[in-house]
Amino acid sequence: MRKFLFSCLLAGSVSVAGSAWAQGDYPTLSQLEQRLQKIGSSANANLQKLGQTSSGKDVWVLKVGTGDMDQKPAIAVVGGVEGFHVLSVELATQFAERLVSEHAEALEETTFYIFPNMSPDAYEQYHAGLKYERRGNAAAVDHDRDGTPGDNGYTDLNGDGFITWMRVEDPMGDYKVSDEDERVLVKADRSKGEAGQYLVFKESKDEDLDGKFAEDLKEGIAFNKSMTYKFPVFEPLAGDIPVSQPETRAMLDYLFEQWNIFAFVTFSPANNLSSPLKYNAQNARKRVVTSILQKDEAINAMVSEMYKSTVSQKAFQQTNQGTDGDFFQWAYFHFARLSFGTPGYWTPEFKGKSNAEANYLAWADSLGWNDVFVPWTEISHPDFPGKKVEVGGVKPFVMANPPYEKVDEIAEEHTEFILKLAEMQPNLEVQNLKIESIGNGLTRISLDLFNNAPLPTHSEMGERSRWLRKIRVDLNAGSDRLISGEKIQLIDSIDAYGKASLSWIIRGKGDVSFKAGAPHAGFINATFKL
Amino acid sequence: MNIKNTILALALGAASLASIESSAQQKFFKAVGSPHMPKVEVAWNRYYTYEGLVDVMQKIAKAHPNLAKIESIGKSYEGRDIMTLTITDFSAGKDTDKPAMWIDGNIHSNEIQGAEFALYSAWYLTEMHADTEFIQELLRDKTFYITPTINPDARNDFFLKPNTQNTPRSGVIPLDNDGDGQAAEDEMDDLNGDGHITMMIRKSPTGRYIKDPLDPRRLMMVGPDQVGDYEMLGQEGTDLDGDGRINDDDVGYYDPNRDWGWNWQPDYIQRGAMRYPFTLPENRSVMEFVMKHPNIAGAQSYHNYGGMILRGPGAEEDVNTYNREDIRIYDAIAKKGEEMMPGYRYLTVYKDLYSVFGGELDWFYGNRGVFTYSNELMISYLYFHQNAGRGNQEEQLKVDQLLTFGDAFVDWESYEHPQYGEIEIGGFKKTFGRAHPGFLMEQDAHRNSAFTIYHAYHTPKLSVMDVKEEDLGGGLKAITATIFNERMMPTHSSQDLKYKIERPDYVSISGAKVVAGFVVENEDFKRYQEQKLRPERIAVDNIPGMSAVKVRWIVSSASNYSISVDSAKGGKASWSK
Repeated sequence: MRKFLFSCLLAGSVSVAGSAWAQGDYPTLSQLEQRLQKIGSSANANLQKLGQTSSGKDVWVLKVGTGDMDQKPAIAVVGGVEGFHVLSVELATQFAERLVSEHAEALEETTFYIFPNMSPDAYEQYHAGLKYERRGNAAAVDHDRDGTPGDNGYTDLNGDGFITWMRVEDPMGDYKVSDEDERVLVKADRSKGEAGQYLVFKESKDEDLDGKFAEDLKEGIAFNKSMTYKFPVFEPLAGDIPVSQPETRAMLDYLFEQWNIFAFVTFSPANNLSSPLKYNAQNARKRVVTSILQKDEAINAMVSEMYKSTVSQKAFQQTNQGTDGDFFQWAYFHFARLSFGTPGYWTPEFKGKSNAEANYLAWADSLGWNDVFVPWTEISHPDFPGKKVEVGGVKPFVMANPPYEKVDEIAEEHTEFILKLAEMQPNLEVQNLKIESIGNGLTRISLDLFNNAPLPTHSEMGERSRWLRKIRVDLNAGSDRLISGEKIQLIDSIDAYGKASLSWIIRGKGDVSFKAGAPHAGFINATFKL
Repeated sequence: MNIKNTILALALGAASLASIESSAQQKFFKAVGSPHMPKVEVAWNRYYTYEGLVDVMQKIAKAHPNLAKIESIGKSYEGRDIMTLTITDFSAGKDTDKPAMWIDGNIHSNEIQGAEFALYSAWYLTEMHADTEFIQELLRDKTFYITPTINPDARNDFFLKPNTQNTPRSGVIPLDNDGDGQAAEDEMDDLNGDGHITMMIRKSPTGRYIKDPLDPRRLMMVGPDQVGDYEMLGQEGTDLDGDGRINDDDVGYYDPNRDWGWNWQPDYIQRGAMRYPFTLPENRSVMEFVMKHPNIAGAQSYHNYGGMILRGPGAEEDVNTYNREDIRIYDAIAKKGEEMMPGYRYLTVYKDLYSVFGGELDWFYGNRGVFTYSNELMISYLYFHQNAGRGNQEEQLKVDQLLTFGDAFVDWESYEHPQYGEIEIGGFKKTFGRAHPGFLMEQDAHRNSAFTIYHAYHTPKLSVMDVKEEDLGGGLKAITATIFNERMMPTHSSQDLKYKIERPDYVSISGAKVVAGFVVENEDFKRYQEQKLRPERIAVDNIPGMSAVKVRWIVSSASNYSISVDSAKGGKASWSK
């Protein structure tokens, strides 16, 4: 009770200051929490603390819906999957804000789970004195497995508050200046006989004196590299076992109790909305499945078309369709839900530059964004005595995250996408109901259980999983009245616009009640008058 | 009254003490290889509930404070402590400074005897220590971490609730197994109240079975052209949830041995898996303990049934994880095991049994680099020294006739069933078949313990030897030391080396001013690999079994120096001038 009162007070104070929200940058963790508290104070939303990271930062979920929320199909929206992708936190949070304030009608049929920020430890680096693109949480991890955790992180060699890159002039180097932009370095193409000019490293010193740079970062496990699907065991940022971190376990333990989720929308670098995942028969047939299944490929393609007609940004260099140990693939391959992912934002194709950094810089130049690059400047580096070392490069965060003022439009379009996805959810109806007397006090009830929706009740993967329930049909008649047909029956799946035909023979008079559905497909109830 | 009682008790105590001593002299004579007058008396021809196991463990720890410590390494789903005994000679160093052997049992709750077998090892090591030089040396050098049951909730379920010999295999978390949205709503029913789930049969004019006129316990099929008296109805039970199926949603059903974090796969690929590796608190406790004890170099997990010494890989996808150097060591130890345990065969899980993901032994080896076996305890060979095969009804009936005198079988008795009408219930008890009958337990426990002792013996044993000095002139001296591993196992399995699972072994010199340090690649041809950083502490990737590595320092001054080796899995050793 006290807690409730406290959060109301908090929310109250925020809404007073609400007009001051026209801020110019992504929120800090405490600003974010205030916004979540405010959403949580709405009648249709429930804010719950899932757990904490090892450094004590909270991980939240918002459950938004009306009525019996657990009995309606649900979509989970996930942000902060990568700590450096601060946009994703904003997209998830704004979706929740818009849903509660502008789209409450969507809650009649659908429940939403919003996980705004799964990487609060790493997210904080955006606002820290020293800014760098961080993925790992606060756990102490020995990434280079030399017996000492975190003993070779980054060093801000030029003291500008950003970790960028350092290049060392060296004829044995494997990088050269890009032909497309002289600020950009690219790998020398040995197959074309190209020589390199530079060794390139992240801005750092060899603190553990092993000849390697920034190979044992002072950050822990990355949420998006430590899930069970294709877990990259023993790799840096992944660790020794999957799902090792408290915040990840808190989220998964929660998800495994929410039986109504039929789809995920994940804001992270992986993208299967600009173009769908491709079915590969061989990989789909193996015992360890590594290809989207055939029927699900078609669903992905259909949803992708809808995304492209909803979101105005045209795809460019969107080749990341999943990385080992990531969340987006886990949601499909291991949690067996429909899983859709998008970064929400990327640099558009500009002046035909093929190199991503060159393309970005040309585009930024055209918009007058002149604060996105640290010019290469010579410094003296203790590990390279007598060599020319320069620090510079594209600033952290700017390529993955747009300037804050652009977020509004992106969030609006993605909100629309998620709401359209909700409209596609499984939708059970009774069709062709016949209640006919067959004499001697016996009545036959027959009907088609129809899924009036473009999505099936179960994806092909979902049908295989024990973590999705089957469609359960209950005909509530006593065993003395039920002459034929089953009191309880389970149906594996009903296709998009497909049906299951059912019939029973009942003895005597009196109403018989009928219930059919599954949490992730919704339920229908009916009473048959005999 | 109180005082009187106390005096009486004291007097009685003294009398009984005296009588034990004198009677031991007069009545007992030591059998070779067994504790003569154990401080902790344990009957090895019966099974123990969780509480019974813990009671014995506490008695062992209390009776042998210098050799045994007991601790809880975590809680089970229902809140029971997972109890572990640490067995080592604590007067000869901390447990964590010595190479260690992990032993557990009962991960599958119906595979009960692993707990007694593991407990036997703890009892045997502590009770034999005083009289046996070999065990004294073993406990000076090694540590045993023994956790008789890593599934205490369901162990008690097996004993105290109605079950078959095959149930429960999992723990006791209720899950929805039939997919109807309700969990564990159609459990097995012990209709005749005897604690065993046996079989149901019914007289039927179209039956295919008759009772053997020579042995009415035995139901036999009639010939293809004959009509029988009985039909089989399956396992004892009723349809509790009204879905027309009997016993279709019991507690569980997951598999604790599909819950480990090496090549883990979800349930639709690997039946029995839970949400993610170490979902189960029992396994998580073991994992966390093992992570905190990098000195564990060998591991043994007890299952039943089949008389097997199993090694990984559990899944064909992991074939390349096990390379030739390590397999050589696996083979050498297990082949010895086949001799020590007649009837047991040495097999590889994925190719001789079936492919599994997320198994315990794969995690121990794949993720921690620990040489690990799973023994499938009990085989029908132990009955008559014949290979009649698993679940051979003829042999089992004969065992029960000649050796257990009818104690293994519940005779058919009639019963009024709510759905089937008049039926008969009977069949083999849950404690027969997979489980050892009492008279076979101690011997097989001893043989399996001897095997784990042999396994533990061959964890690395390091020494610093053959330290040589060479004057290089100009005030410089070269010191070369040999680090010898006199057991079969290396300090790092090849899996460990491949992934750098464990830190390198460190060979350090103190009391000398070090100018340069080297790992010696070839002493005769003076090939040295220099270590530029911290040359006084040479990092050695591995010290292979039954062989040595050499290190070399160039020092500018050294008088009373000492050399030490510190290995996570190989223990510590030192040498002083």
